[in-house]
Amino acid sequence: MTAGSQVDPLITETADRVFRELCPHEAIQAAEDTGAAEEIWAAFAATGFPWISLPTEQGGSGGSLADALEVLRLAGYHAAPVAAAETGMLGGWLLAGANLELPDGIVTVASSSSIEATATSNGLALTGSLPRVAWANVADRLALLVEVDGQPMVASVPLEACTSTPMTNLAGERRDTVRLEGVEAQAAPAAAGVDAVALRFRGALSRAALMAGAIEKISQLTVSYTTERVQFGRPVARFQAVQQHLVWAAQDAALVRMAAESAGRAASRGPAGFEIASAKLIANQGAARATKACHQAHGAMGMTQEYPLHHYTRRLWSWRKEYGGEREWSRWLGELAVAQGADGLYPLITGGSEAANQTEEHVR
Amino acid sequence: MRFTPTELTGPELELQQEVRDFLAAELPPGSHLPGLGMSARADREFSKKMADRGWVGMALPKEWGGSDLTAVHRFIVVEEMLRWGAPVGHHWVADRQTGNVIHKFGTDEQRERFLPAICRGELGFSIGMSEPDSGSDLASVSTRAERSGDGWIVNGTKVWTSGAHQNDWFICLLRTTPVEEGNKHAGLSQILIDLASPGLEISPIPFLDGTHHFNEVTFNDVYVPDENVVGEAGMGWNQNTTEMAYERGGPDRWLSPFSTIEQLLRESAGTGLEAPVQDLFGELVARWWGIRNLSLSVARLIDRGEAPSVESALVKEMGGRFEQELVERLVQLIDDEYSPDSESLFERLFAQCILTFPGNTIRGGTIEILRSVASKGLQGLPA
Repeated sequence: MTAGSQVDPLITETADRVFRELCPHEAIQAAEDTGAAEEIWAAFAATGFPWISLPTEQGGSGGSLADALEVLRLAGYHAAPVAAAETGMLGGWLLAGANLELPDGIVTVASSSSIEATATSNGLALTGSLPRVAWANVADRLALLVEVDGQPMVASVPLEACTSTPMTNLAGERRDTVRLEGVEAQAAPAAAGVDAVALRFRGALSRAALMAGAIEKISQLTVSYTTERVQFGRPVARFQAVQQHLVWAAQDAALVRMAAESAGRAASRGPAGFEIASAKLIANQGAARATKACHQAHGAMGMTQEYPLHHYTRRLWSWRKEYGGEREWSRWLGELAVAQGADGLYPLITGGSEAANQTEEHVR
Repeated sequence: MRFTPTELTGPELELQQEVRDFLAAELPPGSHLPGLGMSARADREFSKKMADRGWVGMALPKEWGGSDLTAVHRFIVVEEMLRWGAPVGHHWVADRQTGNVIHKFGTDEQRERFLPAICRGELGFSIGMSEPDSGSDLASVSTRAERSGDGWIVNGTKVWTSGAHQNDWFICLLRTTPVEEGNKHAGLSQILIDLASPGLEISPIPFLDGTHHFNEVTFNDVYVPDENVVGEAGMGWNQNTTEMAYERGGPDRWLSPFSTIEQLLRESAGTGLEAPVQDLFGELVARWWGIRNLSLSVARLIDRGEAPSVESALVKEMGGRFEQELVERLVQLIDDEYSPDSESLFERLFAQCILTFPGNTIRGGTIEILRSVASKGLQGLPA
């Protein structure tokens, strides 16, 4: 494992191999049909990868944010049905930062300004409803960020004490509504600088990494499919109209991967709001165009459940709107851009968060 | 594909600041009419000032007048020049490609003759490729050179030659041996031709907005000494292909609208932008950041000795379309009747964008051809 912004090549190799073995097409489909993928989680957990970037002193696996994002990129590349982001760089991050115990199992994450929280002897009692909690049906613990008297607090909520209503995203991934009625949870103040906005940015970064992997996969699938599929006596990839789809999907794969990795590197160095917002926006737009191009190039075959394309495209359509869609991020970036003034506009593009004139809301 | 994230080093950032300070002193906003990226006007004085700072032909070796610097160093200088709208027209072609071609493929005599003058910002080059019957199918050019004594006699016609009416030299792709059956790339050469040569006629081809960039250059028995054949006869196609990998992925492919966008922000400083326009600015800064990351990583690849033809084709294709899409999105949001002679500088620049940007996906290789190059690369086929 490495510190800083370089990825350990062993992580890339191992995560790629593990996901490739665990997540063939049938396994992904089964996970969607049943809502659970215990064997896949168990094998993934055995590598220690869910807890990369969390400190070893607290039971994490060590390693850098770049390592964690690389695991997510590969999880997206293989459509791995595991709560990787939630257990590690999101929920685990909240818990570790608040010096709360890191559980062994699956952790999910949520943030709420409408949950009622009352202090108890060793934490908080929580009442309210949380929409769209990722993997809540298989998670043991929920890392919940709430604000109490203006102070961000992290509560480690036992999910068996909650009730939930099933809900899925467009890819069939579980996004249940979780209800708490006076649920008691250990809680502690969040680490300095950690609040709902920080979590939102970090979530956006996690999705950008996942999306980078998925777009790369569909781009490659499309090159393979169109070079094998023969019509009019030649591979359909020889037709210029089809080449346009291949090229556009490849551009989006390159743009999104570069954006997610660059944002991760910036986030390792300090505040990276500009880079993360840009990466998520680029990922959202890339997902829109690449899914369209790849579906078009695949013809009817790509519209079937049997062919694997939909595992990735439905995830991309879902992740596009998780942790901020295009309107949210273009609005945030537009405010930042205008605040730089005409002379500061290009320096923002070249220098990013380090260079930007920051107003308080933009300090991320 | 090999786009690797990179950041600028300390010394590279220092160069960036030097360039910004230079531009702030030489061309303070409001003091000059910005160009639209690389189609900015020629200004021999300005080219000389840049050359005096060592910013023309930077990557050429010191022995030839350059600074032994890198493609990334050049990237840093060029992106600032283009976003500022600085008048780089005179030295642009020499700096971006012809100097490199002469250095890489030329004879020592050619290097001595041309490179120091290029690095002093003195020489303006035009490129002779397209002909009335040869555009995307470049190998089909029929301008020819026939051996005669110590040189060659050139006959033929080139079109769309930007700047030929103002420049000093012409680097011309032509046939030095007749076409071979089944090998249309053989027998092509690049030749350096003095634009003041007898028998060489230049006539303007007015651009659709009335400006004079394009020319038709006709050769009637123009004599060219043999020393002007770049390197060796018959190597023209190879030279050309390598050239394209170097010049396609740079900031000139995605910065053309920048000075216009900057000016919009400048002019709206008092009143602010309407919400949808402000949101569009958010999209634009993200996309510029994203494309710049790819483009900068191409420069790093070039500095590692690679010729990244697929990567640069992808960047050029995406850059040209981005420039056009940006203008279209802004036109949709600003319901004014634009005038090229408006009092508002933004509106004048914007009008120029609207009129001229259809050319951005045509010039230097159409996006259709670029997609063809890129998709062959994606399929692992030879270019």
